[in-house]
Amino acid sequence: MQYEILARPAAAVAKLTLDNRESITCEVGAMIAMSTGLTVETTSGTKGAGGGLLKGLKRMFAGENFFLNHFTANESNQTLIIGPTMLGDIVHHRLTGGSLVIQGSSWLASDSKVTIDATWQGFGRAIFSGEGMFWVKATGAGSVFLNSFGAIYEVNVDGEYIVDTGHIVAFEDTLQFKIVKAGASLIGSFLGGEGLVCKFHGTGKLYCQSHNPPNFGKLLGPKLKPR
Amino acid sequence: MEATTRNRPSFANVLVKLEPGDKIIAEADAMASMSANVQMKTRWSGGVFKAILKRIFGGESLFVNEFSAPSSAELVLTQSFPGDIEAIDLKGNTLYLQPGAFLACEPGVTLGLGWAGLASFVGGEGLFRLKVQGTGRVWFSAYGGIFSREITDEYIVDTGHLVAYEPTVNLRVGLAGGIFTSFFGGEGLVTKVRGPGRIYMQSRNFSGLTMWMNSHL
Repeated sequence: MQYEILARPAAAVAKLTLDNRESITCEVGAMIAMSTGLTVETTSGTKGAGGGLLKGLKRMFAGENFFLNHFTANESNQTLIIGPTMLGDIVHHRLTGGSLVIQGSSWLASDSKVTIDATWQGFGRAIFSGEGMFWVKATGAGSVFLNSFGAIYEVNVDGEYIVDTGHIVAFEDTLQFKIVKAGASLIGSFLGGEGLVCKFHGTGKLYCQSHNPPNFGKLLGPKLKPR
Repeated sequence: MEATTRNRPSFANVLVKLEPGDKIIAEADAMASMSANVQMKTRWSGGVFKAILKRIFGGESLFVNEFSAPSSAELVLTQSFPGDIEAIDLKGNTLYLQPGAFLACEPGVTLGLGWAGLASFVGGEGLFRLKVQGTGRVWFSAYGGIFSREITDEYIVDTGHLVAYEPTVNLRVGLAGGIFTSFFGGEGLVTKVRGPGRIYMQSRNFSGLTMWMNSHL
């Protein structure tokens, strides 16, 4: 499979080229355009395997859809264009046997050599990280596509690194994070608007988004009329 | 201090490389991510009384954060709107910013509040404006792209699009055309700016977005 990411970072889409019998699993509604030599199968779990009810439910908790769409090429050189609903960026991450922990709604697609599952990051992180209760865990050796609101930037963490709540997109599971106060004093941290932050430690790749969807929502919300 | 504005104009954010002795002051909640050795100090935005005034009239936060580092570090600053960020290097001169536009500055820059006048208020820009002056860089943000223009005599900007201007620029409210054009042509009131001086405009208007959304709810 080859890929190209177009229209970064404001309205990014991923253009994928699949060879015969190659397959990719996408978030429901991600397909924008595709060649006619692709077939689509909708399941609640892995491709071809029935059931997966529990996996589907877990995914719902992670902010994703209950169902998944699997696109498989029946001919060579088939193109598929995918993108998220919101404005924002897309990046590609290559897994080489490890795992990537992805913020609930940031998983867009992954190829058939990658398995995805919902993962629980613990109570403290669920409540204070500014992300969802559950996260998506992608494991295997293959391609994963991530999307965000805002531009995505990559940080190679070696030691410690701090991310404000609401700005995490994904991180390799060789990294762990804990919730800490932003400044030296707790009161100062809250008055300074940063409050709690996520402090990562370990060695690995971290993807952050430049913008924070809840912050934009807080500006927009009060200006909208009640329905 | 090295600072680069990335992902312009749609999702601009500032990557700051801090060295020992460097300091940058940013609006509350502007930090997106940073190295673990960055020290963050929260303080009133220019004294208690001034901070309260700036909060009420200048659309700014009560507190600002001061970032420094004992060894090389990086810091990413951002804003809540999808849009552009502009950096201006002040050399003792002054710049007026619309309420809410301030993002960050170097320690040599002071942030004050000034009366903008009724013309500014009627023009949808607020009764007060932020006054930045001193020596050093100041970063301000907008919803949409930022473009600037050197005004020699008079120029017309639609309401809600003016982001920053030099103190030599005067604002006046006017009609876009005749009575009919002004009220049915969708332009309504406009801001007439008189130079000489430089003005900074934003390519989108947030109240335009909320009005459009409200019409679809």
